[in-house]
Amino acid sequence: MASPVITGRRASVLVLGLGNDLLGDDAVGLHVAREVRKRLAGAGDCAVSETIEMGLALLDEIVGCEHLLLVDAIETGTAPPGSIHEFGAASLGGRRIAAPHFVGIAETLELGGRLGLAMPRDVRVFAIEVRAEYTVRSSLTPEVRRAVGKAADRICRLLDKICRARRGVVR
Amino acid sequence: MNTATETRGSRRHLSIEPITRLEGHGRIEIFLDDAGDVEHAYLQIPELRGFEVFSRGRPAEDMPQITSRICGVCPTAHHMAATKALDDLYRVEPTPTARKIRELVYNAFMLEDHALHVYVLGGPDFIVGPQAPAAERNLVGVIGKVGVEVGKKVIAMRRRVRELIAYFGGKVIHPVLGLPGGVAKGLDPAELPRFQALARDALEFALFTNQVFHDLVLKNPDYVKLIISDVYTHRTYYMGLVDAQNRVNFYDGRIRVVDPAGREYASFPASRYREFIAEHTEPWSYMNFCYLRPLGWNGFTDGTGTSVYAVAPLARLNASDGMATPLAQKAYEEYFATLGGKPVHHTLANHWARVVEMIHAAERMVALASDPELTGTDLRTLPAQKPSVGIGVVEAPRGTLFHHYETDELGLITKANLIVATQNNAARIAMSVEKAAKGLIRKHEVSEGLLNMVEMAFRAYDPCFGCATHSLPGHLPLRVRIHDRKGGLWRELVQE
Repeated sequence: MASPVITGRRASVLVLGLGNDLLGDDAVGLHVAREVRKRLAGAGDCAVSETIEMGLALLDEIVGCEHLLLVDAIETGTAPPGSIHEFGAASLGGRRIAAPHFVGIAETLELGGRLGLAMPRDVRVFAIEVRAEYTVRSSLTPEVRRAVGKAADRICRLLDKICRARRGVVR
Repeated sequence: MNTATETRGSRRHLSIEPITRLEGHGRIEIFLDDAGDVEHAYLQIPELRGFEVFSRGRPAEDMPQITSRICGVCPTAHHMAATKALDDLYRVEPTPTARKIRELVYNAFMLEDHALHVYVLGGPDFIVGPQAPAAERNLVGVIGKVGVEVGKKVIAMRRRVRELIAYFGGKVIHPVLGLPGGVAKGLDPAELPRFQALARDALEFALFTNQVFHDLVLKNPDYVKLIISDVYTHRTYYMGLVDAQNRVNFYDGRIRVVDPAGREYASFPASRYREFIAEHTEPWSYMNFCYLRPLGWNGFTDGTGTSVYAVAPLARLNASDGMATPLAQKAYEEYFATLGGKPVHHTLANHWARVVEMIHAAERMVALASDPELTGTDLRTLPAQKPSVGIGVVEAPRGTLFHHYETDELGLITKANLIVATQNNAARIAMSVEKAAKGLIRKHEVSEGLLNMVEMAFRAYDPCFGCATHSLPGHLPLRVRIHDRKGGLWRELVQE
């Protein structure tokens, strides 16, 4: 059996938007990623990607990058919709699999590391507060839509900082 | 970690719920009576709203893409069921090559999804063990038990299978493979050796998985005892797709139902599903519970008089007379011989049945990859009839999946309905959760192992908790809440 290799030249810095574009505000991470992409216009060693997949499928996206900026929706219930949370991967907490299909982001990162895959050494998470509705819909609510530009601002500022530190320039 | 909080009131309502979101809010609710025993228990899964409204007025040809995007868990199953519904809608048969390409893709998907469950999702229960601390019952714990090399094998196989699916349909999550009467892309003969090698490796991997299951699960008497224990046993009907010889078929065939004694109760084409399946509602749940319509709703009961049926691997093996491939057939015979003959009523046997099905999927991949018709160029039969009603069915990894569309003469959707595996299984899942809870909660005493044991009761079904694809924080701690008759909080348990 062939040995597992996930190879290929990857950008060192990856902005990855997560979400489902048919489930209303769940798609906010995808919208933010698109906005960031528009602003970067294909800058240097920085890639912007979006996926509606989850769990282990994220390995296909993130293996090989050094800095990962994840953008996702979150429902903490402790902040108004549209609020932006920012934290490191360690704050994602538990790694337990209690959901029948679900492998969490923290667990995916740890698994990749255990298997010797080239996992990002620096992970920042931008999570936009939403209220889950379970309704098939392809648009964002106004509060969440307003957060897209703000989140993109913050991400672009962080990208600039990362790239300067790497002695690159975000164009 | 379990935490307990306050107590008040007499009648308790206990719920176990994840505190994360869209992937989604699957929750177990347990109601206690005045004596402190379990009165009711059920799995609460939110219903996705607005699907029909969203679909209405859209071209039917968009449904394979829309439904695969709605469900990030089984996109290929929805894509294929929708594609088959389009075949039916336009009264058109796919060409032999198109059918074989679909079947190859579909079996590859089943193999990957089952492998994910065996190693990643169900693995913590058996490979790590039900008694292991919660902190170890995860994917990393599984890797610790089976070794890093096995972990690499799993990841590598998953990736190569997805490359095959992507070759034919582009993005796995948004495939563009299925068209009414055929497929959008054929197989370049130059690519064939690569897929043949993958199929051979897939079979080796499936057989390896079978060995892992034997070594780590079946050789452990405690695990076997748990699998066949009464707490995880229900005597119900079983449903699954079968071919003309009543052998398991994931992609096509007739729907066969056997009774709790294993005798054939019904065999019908997908187009007649409404004659056999009805949905029951309860005031305490927003889920619909499927049952066998001709028998009427007889409650959450098993054994004689039940009208509850199950789908998914355990059910598929029970509903068939065998497997269509030799090595899977051998595994099938061993499975029934070990577990006391047909039908097997032990819910946790789903895990073993899943391994048997992995072998079947891999053998089908090998057979299809060596079929000369696979590289044919006749990919599509063009529809020539006006559309009206289309019904498609496949066996999703989690069980029988129905897509039903109605359109106007232009092929624009006027009605869309899905019955997904978890709906088919809902009543039996509720019974499993209730039985596990009853065994673990007596006279207001909640056994320490409640969370794990109840969780195992529903995890074996691999229920689909929603149709979104991700979420933060990315894990699902279970929360148990016990309420009094007035709804006040009596006790709370959380497993991180």
